[in-house]
Amino acid sequence: MTVGISERMVGARVKRSEDPRLLTGRGRYVDDVHLPGMLHAAFLRSPLAHARITRIDASAARELPGVVAVYTGADMRAWVAPATSGGKAFGLGVPGYKVPPFRVIADEKVRFVGDPVAIVVAESRAVAEDACERIDVEYDPLPPVVTAERALDAASPAVFDEIGSNVAFQMQYTFGDVDGVFAAADRTIRETFRQHRHQNVPMEGRGSVASYDPAKKVLTIHSATQGVFSVQRIVAPLLGLEPESVHVLAGDVGGSFGLKIGGSREEVAVCAASKQLGRPVKWVEDRNENLTAAGQAREETVEIEAAVTSDGMVLGFKVKLLQDQGSYPAMIMPAAGVTFGMMQFLPGPYRLGALSFEATSVTTNKCQYVAYRGPWAVETWVRERMLDVIARELGMDPIELRRKNLAVRGEPPTHMVTGLSLAGITSRESLDRAVALVDYAGFRERQRKAREEGRFLGIGFATYIEAAPGPRSKGGPPAFGAQDARLRLEPDGRVTVFTMQQPHGQGHETTLAQIAADEMGVPFEQVTVVYGDTKTTPFGMGTGGSRSATLAGGAVLHGARALKRKALAFAGALIETKPEDLEIRAGRVFVRDAPERSISLAEVAAAAASGRPANLPADVDRNLEVVHHYDGGGGGWSGGTHCCLVEVDIETGCVRIDRYVVIEDCGVVINPAVVDGQIRGGVAQGIGAVLLERSAYDEDGQYLSGSLMDYLLPTTTDVPPIEIEH
Amino acid sequence: MTTKIAIRMTVNARSCEGSVEARKTLADFLREDLGLTGTHLGCEHGVCGACTVLVDGEAVRACLMLAVQADGAEVTTVEGLAKNDALHPIQEAFWESHSFQCGFCTPGFVMTTLALLRENPNPNEEEICEALSGNLCRCTGYESIVAGVRRAAEKSGAR
Repeated sequence: MTVGISERMVGARVKRSEDPRLLTGRGRYVDDVHLPGMLHAAFLRSPLAHARITRIDASAARELPGVVAVYTGADMRAWVAPATSGGKAFGLGVPGYKVPPFRVIADEKVRFVGDPVAIVVAESRAVAEDACERIDVEYDPLPPVVTAERALDAASPAVFDEIGSNVAFQMQYTFGDVDGVFAAADRTIRETFRQHRHQNVPMEGRGSVASYDPAKKVLTIHSATQGVFSVQRIVAPLLGLEPESVHVLAGDVGGSFGLKIGGSREEVAVCAASKQLGRPVKWVEDRNENLTAAGQAREETVEIEAAVTSDGMVLGFKVKLLQDQGSYPAMIMPAAGVTFGMMQFLPGPYRLGALSFEATSVTTNKCQYVAYRGPWAVETWVRERMLDVIARELGMDPIELRRKNLAVRGEPPTHMVTGLSLAGITSRESLDRAVALVDYAGFRERQRKAREEGRFLGIGFATYIEAAPGPRSKGGPPAFGAQDARLRLEPDGRVTVFTMQQPHGQGHETTLAQIAADEMGVPFEQVTVVYGDTKTTPFGMGTGGSRSATLAGGAVLHGARALKRKALAFAGALIETKPEDLEIRAGRVFVRDAPERSISLAEVAAAAASGRPANLPADVDRNLEVVHHYDGGGGGWSGGTHCCLVEVDIETGCVRIDRYVVIEDCGVVINPAVVDGQIRGGVAQGIGAVLLERSAYDEDGQYLSGSLMDYLLPTTTDVPPIEIEH
Repeated sequence: MTTKIAIRMTVNARSCEGSVEARKTLADFLREDLGLTGTHLGCEHGVCGACTVLVDGEAVRACLMLAVQADGAEVTTVEGLAKNDALHPIQEAFWESHSFQCGFCTPGFVMTTLALLRENPNPNEEEICEALSGNLCRCTGYESIVAGVRRAAEKSGAR
């Protein structure tokens, strides 16, 4: 693409830098990493949901030609420390959350179908799988605890003996005068909402290639991850290594949606095996492992009691949330941690004046609960459904009820009852626009006529705000904290941006380069974005939580401005002009009032790097590199309104989506094609979650959705056109 | 240990040979023995379509075909489309349409589209959706991919 001198990149549908390699099969995903002497791992996994391991005999497996090692939980016990939830390095510890020290390979007990009980390392994955079949394990079955209700039953056995109960976490908070609003209410309305378990299912599963160098005592990990530092901070302490001795790299990552935000037990086991053997070991999970054991999400029951007035003011909610966190706590972002987001964001953009919120997370014999795309988003679903229930109970129109209760920008209340500032929200505008766009009155008329013909049409609205990056809490940084960007002007005039973001589909190589190009005044093609390397990129948790555009984008924007100031200061010294009289356009430094005088950034940078000319003043700063720390400024919300029109066949239960409209406000759009892609992909996942997908267990805790023929993802024929307005 | 079988095939117009176990899939042969890692494995049970390649002109799932079954065949993978750094019109169209995000399913969609447009150079919306319904993408919601196929058909028609 040719770039005009004044053409701004931010806001343009710039074609992605990533795509030429991805379209030609030259991406580099973890399974494409091949190291000399590399071995392959496979895991033997528990066929039972809950059992004691009484005996393991791996001798027949060890004898199989091509097998290098078989390690059981007992073997691993000597080399791998007990795991914890691991969020402390990123400030994500959850006070009061009971985390049992757990093993990366189950040793005494198995706790879900798919729990790894042994790792086989062999010359090929096929041989490793053959060997798994030769391992003889005897189990003493225990009663499986398969539902949250069973977990709460004191008669059920504890999944973790060390905790003694299956209640892993409880919290209770009250905001506003809950008793007062319930006493003043004309009536109270109750409803219970159940969200079924479903899961991320990125097209690329989890995987790692671990390579320990016994001479240097350095472990190198190529990982499919959302953040290389997350892997480093999980693996290093468990293997008794300093973080600096664990070098984590990530290339292209084939989707994640929260699944790969932390580290996995399997990844730690693969690293331990490599360290033991002094050879590279690869493990890439197959789809059955991914569906059974990678992570599942969202299983919550939410009871809401609402205090309302007869004319439709929603005064307060009493909320009880029960969360089924499965067995092992997810490392970095365990289930209990997201209950705080569910609570804080539950009032959303509404005036709700009082809230009591009680959450309980229980442990069951199912796969671990992991973050999945907006892990707290149950708050939007239950709030919006509850508003519909209230409207129905009061005989009011649900739009009228929403309008009555929505907070309006610039008017009180300025904060949610949970304390978060509502500054800058555009929720009311987005709802009004959605109502107009779908011709709500016309729809109600069509719906009435259809009903007379025995056809069932429906409409649903959801108005939400999304903490991207979120408002600044009183005196503190936005959630998940701030981040650095490092920018360097290379001797050839190119700009390198180092980010802690770990793109896995979001296109940061393009969007961050768009920002840097505009701010520096260089062509887009002259910006390279570097990520996925603990040795070169700034520290941070990686990509997740809707933070890339605002926080990484902000860090790059301000970093580029700082770099530009440095470059101009040096250029000024070089051509003996005041820096404030200089500007950069299309990669050249111009004297503003004498555009015939110019010098390329490459010449400037080459001079700085080479130390020439030698006659410059000694205090001239030749270091054309900056690290900029960005804390999100005042913060703020993204948000919008979704509206879906459906027809339901009440004989078959089949739902047809007639129209799906998204009114979205995410502020300045860096690349419209990228933003629309994120929105459409998110809606498609929502449609899948509601209509197709379920992580199903039977009453013995046997997993029933272990293939893509059992776990149904939306296809081209399931997702309707999605209309988007910004 | 297991007996190996000698095979020979033409891959992306180059003659290739190998010696494989009978159980090795065509996908694993392409990836491991020939180093053609553009063919991705998303499910290994024939549902997701990420491993789609052309065998004697037909789109097949390389995870469901054994390498020995492709003995003597002509195979085209995603690496075989771009010529001397010039993208194939389908790749160009997908790039311009912002069709993909993480890129993992991409090679399968490129190859499925290649097979579709050879058979039906001017497919309508429904035919495109039908042809792509055996390929899974988790990132995009498909609209951008369908738009890319439409654009590819226009480009190919214009040639």
